[in-house]
Amino acid sequence: MKLPRLSSFFKGMNLTVFTFVMIFLYIPILILIIFSFNDARIITSWKGFTFKYYAQLWENAAIKEAFWNTMLIAILSTVISTLLGLITALGLENKRLKGRRGFMGLLYAPLVIPDILMGVSLALLFNFLRVNTGMVTVLIAHITFCVSYAVIVIQSRLEDFDYSLIEAAMDLGAKPRTTFFKVKLPLIMPGVIAAALLSFTLSIDDFIITFFTSGRGFDTLPIYVEGTIRRGTITTINSLSTLMIGFTLFLVVFTKRIRKSLISFF
Amino acid sequence: MRDKREIKPVNSFNQKIDYILAAPALLWLTIFFLVPYFIVLIYGFLTPDIFDIKFEFSLDAYRQIVDGTYFRPFYVSFRMALLTTVLCILLGYPVAYFIARAKEKLRNTLLVFIIIPFWTNLIIRIFSWRIFLSYNGVLNDFLISLGLISQPLEIMRTDWAVILVMVYVYLPYMILPLYSVLEKLDFTLLHAAMDLGANEVKAFFKITLPLSMGGIFAGVLLVFIPALGAYLIPQLVGDQRSLYVGQVITYKIKNIPRNWPMASALSFTLLILVAVCLLAGYYLYQNRQKTKRFG
Repeated sequence: MKLPRLSSFFKGMNLTVFTFVMIFLYIPILILIIFSFNDARIITSWKGFTFKYYAQLWENAAIKEAFWNTMLIAILSTVISTLLGLITALGLENKRLKGRRGFMGLLYAPLVIPDILMGVSLALLFNFLRVNTGMVTVLIAHITFCVSYAVIVIQSRLEDFDYSLIEAAMDLGAKPRTTFFKVKLPLIMPGVIAAALLSFTLSIDDFIITFFTSGRGFDTLPIYVEGTIRRGTITTINSLSTLMIGFTLFLVVFTKRIRKSLISFF
Repeated sequence: MRDKREIKPVNSFNQKIDYILAAPALLWLTIFFLVPYFIVLIYGFLTPDIFDIKFEFSLDAYRQIVDGTYFRPFYVSFRMALLTTVLCILLGYPVAYFIARAKEKLRNTLLVFIIIPFWTNLIIRIFSWRIFLSYNGVLNDFLISLGLISQPLEIMRTDWAVILVMVYVYLPYMILPLYSVLEKLDFTLLHAAMDLGANEVKAFFKITLPLSMGGIFAGVLLVFIPALGAYLIPQLVGDQRSLYVGQVITYKIKNIPRNWPMASALSFTLLILVAVCLLAGYYLYQNRQKTKRFG
């Protein structure tokens, strides 16, 4: 059936706003990329093309260290929170489980509370316990904010699960273990990968919670970048940012199937 | 219709195993999410120390909350969060609508364009706005070269810069839930309404808008609450003479002399404020659903 057509006024307005928003969303990103090749100490005006800040980036030991710290935290927190997310989502699959509403409340709560409060509360917890802040405390914090997202993304995949497939497998003589690993897990895998990807991006993106839970000497990239901006030595930030944007594009382009699960999360 | 589980006795769930599976994450969140807020509550009633905290009871921090010493940062944050949310709805709705009504093949591509910035590092995006907006920045150069202005505009370190960057950062969080509602919306209802004589504007306000309320509610949740606790954006582009509550909390924790009881009291007040907003929003939403059903 043909949908009612919008009048050209409405259509035009939507298209205008859409175009405006697109320009708005991409201006800063384009500027960063262009200015990363700018041969000037002060970032603002164009002084000619250069690769030298990329070379400087390569030679900067602090950036390299921050990069590896970021990756280490991101990979560990992704693996742990995705596994936790998977078993939790499976555990809470039965909607008639006693106490399920309360458990779901606990899982959703971190999503609706400003990040800064999680940062402050963890900082005070670690102070109260007299734990030295550093890699371990950052990892704990990252798992804490990733796990809820992981559970919810995997759960949304389980919602659409067709249980007759399990019945079919069992009718054909598959044992519960085989059914799980050969039928159920492969089918919910896109959700699991989406959860992992979301955890990974949340982890490498986080500033504020890391800021409160990392001690001196353990910088992740966002922490390093913020410090650099504050100190004003910003020449390498553009090139670093461009590489990070490239990495994002790579993830988005190469994860076509997973993207769908991510979009359906909202 | 979703719950296929109701009709499948074969795959009966074992409650004991379910609890064992769910326990690790729930335990984790109890220790590292719930318990810390109790510590925040307790620390608010202790005595500050230059570097740390003294375990002596004191009401000073909450006295300063009650007597309004910190009213201003809360007001500044609340106002900005509200403004950001409204602007995100006004900009996000047409965009979500446009994508939802685009050709099916195009939709995913358009969505990816919305998601890419959202997947780009937050600090980096804020930093690039600084390049764009600063006194000698790209925008000022551009406007001067066009002859529109003769003196560079002072946008950086004003509320204008904060609004701009806040909307920029939070807009995708509004567009995505709105899109997922609008995409599922049955547009034939619009057809029906217009057949029955409603004009486009009326059909929009009577049908599309009420049916997409769930998406707006989710979007408001995802924008307003984080915006309320914003630290980084006001810190990097905002006017440092009017501090946001996130900045005040951070300074009290990080800067010396430290005042952790004050930071705790402010955090706890912010938590209460968030809870009140959530409950109010939820109540409004539920109420609306009810009147819709019976009215």
